[in-house]
Amino acid sequence: MSRVSTPRGYRDTYRDIEVSFKVNGREVRVKVKPYERLLDVLRNKLGLLSVKEGCGRGECGACVVIMNGKLIPTCLTLAVRAEGSEILTLEGIAPEGKLHAIQKALLDTYAMQCGFCFPGVIMASKYLLDKNPDPTEEEIKDALDGNLCRCGSYLRFIKAVKLASKYIKEGKVFFDESEVMR
Amino acid sequence: MFRFDTYVPRNLRDALEASRIYGEELLPIAGGTDLMVLYRQGLVKFRMLLDLWPLRNSLSYVRLEEGLVKIGALTTIDVLESSELLKDKRFAGFRDACRKFASPFIKSVATVGGNIGAAHPLSDIAITLLTYDASVRLKSLESERVIPLKNFYLDKRKTIRKSDELITEVFFNEPPSNASSVFIKLDRRFGHGMGYAAVSVYAELDGELVEEVRIAFDSMGRAFPERALITEGFLKNRELSEDNISRAVYEVLPSEMRRISDYRASAEYRLYISQVLLKRALLEVSKRVRGE
Repeated sequence: MSRVSTPRGYRDTYRDIEVSFKVNGREVRVKVKPYERLLDVLRNKLGLLSVKEGCGRGECGACVVIMNGKLIPTCLTLAVRAEGSEILTLEGIAPEGKLHAIQKALLDTYAMQCGFCFPGVIMASKYLLDKNPDPTEEEIKDALDGNLCRCGSYLRFIKAVKLASKYIKEGKVFFDESEVMR
Repeated sequence: MFRFDTYVPRNLRDALEASRIYGEELLPIAGGTDLMVLYRQGLVKFRMLLDLWPLRNSLSYVRLEEGLVKIGALTTIDVLESSELLKDKRFAGFRDACRKFASPFIKSVATVGGNIGAAHPLSDIAITLLTYDASVRLKSLESERVIPLKNFYLDKRKTIRKSDELITEVFFNEPPSNASSVFIKLDRRFGHGMGYAAVSVYAELDGELVEEVRIAFDSMGRAFPERALITEGFLKNRELSEDNISRAVYEVLPSEMRRISDYRASAEYRLYISQVLLKRALLEVSKRVRGE
């Protein structure tokens, strides 16, 4: 997809804006351009490659992150909006070497095919389970409504979210990687 | 794709000053769910954006004051949906509209003010607000004006707002206890995309007698949300009987509604769907007023 790129020999005269925020618990301070999207800053300047660009117009849900406790599409968000905020991406969902219950549940239900939509699906599921630990099938469908999966794993996502909710209720929020990848 | 500068205001006054200085070159951006898409498609030109996001502390609210329901322009759809006030049956239409608005991540950034200001036919919140006879408060640096929402639109993507004004609030009279509303949108997928047709009906009923009714569609002929005034006139002071509903839907509505054909649906289909939706909405609203 077309990112705003600098042609050779062209000097970008737009000013740099310094933005500081917290991402996955880490304080960061980056220089952004006023026309940049949060998506590009997270991917290209902070190396958080879990944030995917699918459609670039807020339809597919591949780029969603949790910012200040709200699920937001980073492809429609200006980077300057991150100032002072707290952002959670897939990278920060579980400690190093562990998997979150949602990730485990998705593996258990064999939901993954290509996996491009997964970061978005996991963030949307986490957003749902944080607010509502015991969602009904209707509520899961509503919550994952904006996440397109062209492999068509929708029914397995629903199963997985139910399973994850069960894990979390049992107090099993994080799983060791070794325990999962037998 | 061209580049642009972004102005980040400290407060509303600062934002209004910037709009005065830069005029037409500067476009206000709220949630960005419409503007950023247009920008990426190359359908809109500007040199600068005015990021309204920092103002949402003061402009995001839903409250009842002196018989007026006031909604701040930067109230996001999820905030509106979860507000205590709108759990009342008198505002049931807002509940429908918010629920079917879009996906969760769009709801958490899209704003009420943006939905009005975008001046697009399928602006669900604006259609609902029309049936509550809402007014829009426009602020500029030294003055303020109040425009009824029904006079706010001039054309598709064109409103009465001047370049140095900002939408700060939308408000309407608190409905009486015998009122309720319904919003229905027909869509291929639930809560996704814009739908083929949308209708909102607000009614005050005394038994079955219609004391007040307001009907708004996504389009009545021009490319922005409008009220179906002739149909409203027909239904007013009549019983909401099956016969009257049928006459309103099959005889009166087609006389005032002009639909367009495009790649998403034909005019015939849109008119037919509008009739079906109106009929459903009228039946549902009478149920809701009775508290069923």
